[in-house]
Amino acid sequence: MKPKNEKKYKAPKPTKRQRAMNAAYLATILVAFEAVGLSMLIFPRSTYSESERRELEKFPELTAKSYFEGDFTEGISSWFSDTVPYRDNLTEMSVALRELSGFRQDGIRLHNVNVGSKPDDTPSTPSTAAPKPSTTPTAPVTSANSSGSPNGNPPSSEPDDTSAPANGNHEIDPIQQQIYNDDAVNITNNGIAVVGTRALMLYGGNLSVSESYAGVINKFKEALGADVNVYSMVIPTSCEFYSPPAVRELCGSQLDNINCVIDNLREDVKAVDAYTPLAEHTDEEIFLRTDHHWAHLGAYYTAKEFAAVAGVPFADISEYEKRVVHDYVGTMYAYSEDIVLKNNPEEFYYYVPTHVNYTATYTNYILNEDGAIVGAEQPFEADFFIKYPDGNSMAYCTFMGGDAKIVRVNSDAGTGRKLIIFKDSYGNAIPSWLFGSFDEIHVVDYRYFTHNAIEYIKSNGITDVLFANNAFGAATASTVTRYENFIAQNDRGF
Amino acid sequence: MVFSDLFFLYIFIPAVMLCYALARCADSAYVKSMGSGHYSAPANTMPYSNAVLIIFSLIFYAWGEPTYIALMIISIIINYIAGLCIDRGRRKSKAALIVGIVINIGLIGVFKYANLIMETLGFMGLPVESPGIALPIGISFYTFQALSYLVDVYRGEVCAQRSFAALLLYISMFPQLIAGPIVRYSTIAAEINNRRITFEDISEGSFRFLTGLGKKVILANELSEISSKFLDGNLDSLTTGGAWLGIAAYTLQIYFDFSGYSDMAIGMGRCLGFHFNDNFKYPYISCTITEFWRRWHISLSSFFRDYVYIPLGGNRKHQPLNILVVWFLTGLWHGASWNFVLWGLYFGAIVLLEKYTILKTRDKIPSFFLHIYSLFLIIFGWVIFYFEDFSRLGQFIRILFGGGAGAWDIVVQNELFGSIWLLLAAVICCLPIAPCIQKLYDRAGRAPDGAGAAAFLTFSKIVCAFALLAASTLLLIGNTTNAFLYTRF
Repeated sequence: MKPKNEKKYKAPKPTKRQRAMNAAYLATILVAFEAVGLSMLIFPRSTYSESERRELEKFPELTAKSYFEGDFTEGISSWFSDTVPYRDNLTEMSVALRELSGFRQDGIRLHNVNVGSKPDDTPSTPSTAAPKPSTTPTAPVTSANSSGSPNGNPPSSEPDDTSAPANGNHEIDPIQQQIYNDDAVNITNNGIAVVGTRALMLYGGNLSVSESYAGVINKFKEALGADVNVYSMVIPTSCEFYSPPAVRELCGSQLDNINCVIDNLREDVKAVDAYTPLAEHTDEEIFLRTDHHWAHLGAYYTAKEFAAVAGVPFADISEYEKRVVHDYVGTMYAYSEDIVLKNNPEEFYYYVPTHVNYTATYTNYILNEDGAIVGAEQPFEADFFIKYPDGNSMAYCTFMGGDAKIVRVNSDAGTGRKLIIFKDSYGNAIPSWLFGSFDEIHVVDYRYFTHNAIEYIKSNGITDVLFANNAFGAATASTVTRYENFIAQNDRGF
Repeated sequence: MVFSDLFFLYIFIPAVMLCYALARCADSAYVKSMGSGHYSAPANTMPYSNAVLIIFSLIFYAWGEPTYIALMIISIIINYIAGLCIDRGRRKSKAALIVGIVINIGLIGVFKYANLIMETLGFMGLPVESPGIALPIGISFYTFQALSYLVDVYRGEVCAQRSFAALLLYISMFPQLIAGPIVRYSTIAAEINNRRITFEDISEGSFRFLTGLGKKVILANELSEISSKFLDGNLDSLTTGGAWLGIAAYTLQIYFDFSGYSDMAIGMGRCLGFHFNDNFKYPYISCTITEFWRRWHISLSSFFRDYVYIPLGGNRKHQPLNILVVWFLTGLWHGASWNFVLWGLYFGAIVLLEKYTILKTRDKIPSFFLHIYSLFLIIFGWVIFYFEDFSRLGQFIRILFGGGAGAWDIVVQNELFGSIWLLLAAVICCLPIAPCIQKLYDRAGRAPDGAGAAAFLTFSKIVCAFALLAASTLLLIGNTTNAFLYTRF
């Protein structure tokens, strides 16, 4: 006899009340489900995330290759998930939801602190493949054409042109905005600790790179000779001053590394002590709480120290007009996704000199999608400071709008001295304190420079060369490599 | 495509449900038209519904495997023909069964184990290279379903399916296609061509689906953040506390990941009118490892019991050998790596030992100690399961037992306190609380004086479902690395 396919499942007959219970449940949950689903289709999809500072996924291009390799379908899923309407608001809610997972003992929350990240001060081979925080933006803004807005600017990071100075032909294009193609993500760090409402990027440098860093500065001095003063200023960061003992265990000593740099400098290279003046003012707002950068005030104290070492005049802070961007939440929120930072914005203060006349001339580099330099724009004059609206997360770009450029500032200081600053983004906060100290200041970022540094310095009649990098950068092998290249590379003609 | 993906949730599922509802209307009209004429009721009362399900199942599979979908269809064609060849009335064709089994095992052997075999031969010094064949998603599951179908047909427990479309639907049905449960043909054979979908099916199915979604997104995904932090990093600096926290988190993660998938599959199946069997029954409350394997991945262990262990002789002939063979295969099924084989044999040895020791004296041992004993062995089993690299496995075991870089550090402490409610919630969700609530719910629905309780429980269920949906949706935004652990097996 043939087997029959019998039904194995026999459902018990529901009562009327059970039917009513199921109907009430189903009706409600279906309405909720459809409401969410329809809102995902009806409302415009997000194209840019301000909190993560990146353009969101694009709808994938259909080709035979992309289809058969699964990239097309996977791309659709990624695009749909990444570009949810009101993404930043919803992400903020999901971050708040995750906060319910537990509690902060002593107000501390560690992010991306990998096991085994205890600092190792024993010398080791420097690596150019520095670790990155895993929650850093996955795709920084890379090109003018990749923005969703018609003028090519990320909508939420566009500076407030209406409040820009009258001479403001100083438009910020996305490449300039890119600035934040952060040095912080390319440096040696041990993760992030949020202590109270302050975020600290944990230091993971080692001494061997510090030796190399001093070595390349020595090479500059050797090539430039006695006529040009060379200074090294390694800037400590906030974790050196604000880490409680438990967090301190996860950090290497920046002081040791700074001393290691100093110990390995030639005698005729002048070391500038940025550590002591900062250590003396830790009760002031010398570092940003929600950003990995320092505050303009911190740069003031170190610039003062530099001016003393260089023997140039230095104007007191009272000679400056204090301005503010309210409700600032910086990079560390994007890196850590820590809701405490988002809920505790800070004031971004900056100081505009009133005692000196100056003009800033910009030569902006043109970058391709990979961030490589492919050309340069014609030089143009614009203000050194860019006004950002309250709440804008890009406010640290107030100084020159970022890094992918050479900026020359001419002033009526009348000291007969010309300065070039080789810096990372920390160094952006320094030049404005020195407008009254040098007749001319050239600001060069260690990632963006297409000239031979020695020829550039000589042809511009530079008298003083300052290396102003933060302690992370000075402990990162790629920084050393880039400066080595500055000496060796040929002028690319732009 | 994975279940815990916004595109799946808010585009694919609504599209399936809409088309399925329209197809159900068309089926009703079709059955009426057939019934109103001179014909008897048709054998297949769901032609349109089944067509919709087949189309969406193929889209679902092709979404993740645009190339290997051809392999799956070829496999189904072969099994369709083999089934027909086996089922020739009273006399079953053993030759056709053997051919079918060899082809199925050959397919899984080539596409899942060729790399392992070649690498092992290369390790032994033979001049061979790994062919680098990518694992087709779900091959372990759909091949085992096909094998169960052929054997059941040969045993006469079910008829061979005459309709290719019906067999295609059985094997490719998207709820259970890529990560199980391994649904026996006999379980749903009758429902393929004739099924009812009641209000209760959709209600209970959708809640089961949301429960599974919550298990995956709220618990498993968040627990994976903890486990990967301690298990994937540099073991040289891992503390003993970190190792235990990491593996405990993984123990919870893998349960919620896999059982969450099973719940979603069972829930979706139920909404479509299919009633799959449970795949998990609170395995972490087990008192022995033998009991654990009656509660964990039930569809796999029952497959090996019915199609390997019993045919080998079961309890009657050389039982210890049968047990070890089954556990060797169980381990190997999980992945093309020797640590999975070791993991399987580890459990095989424990089950064998329990047979002669604990199972005979179980009543005399307090349950508390048995729970501790089982949990320790289960967690240790996940250590073997997790580390495919034997040197890291050895190092991790040393760390677990005090050979780490200290006992405890701030990273462990911060992670523990920072995730304490999540971990507690996960532990509570391992306990059989839901069946108790379900009993209350059922009682409230039937008791004459249960109207108030029914209203309260229905309201609670709505709130719970809404919270699961909202929290899962929020946590999925921007999340693109969301695959289920068992899809790689």
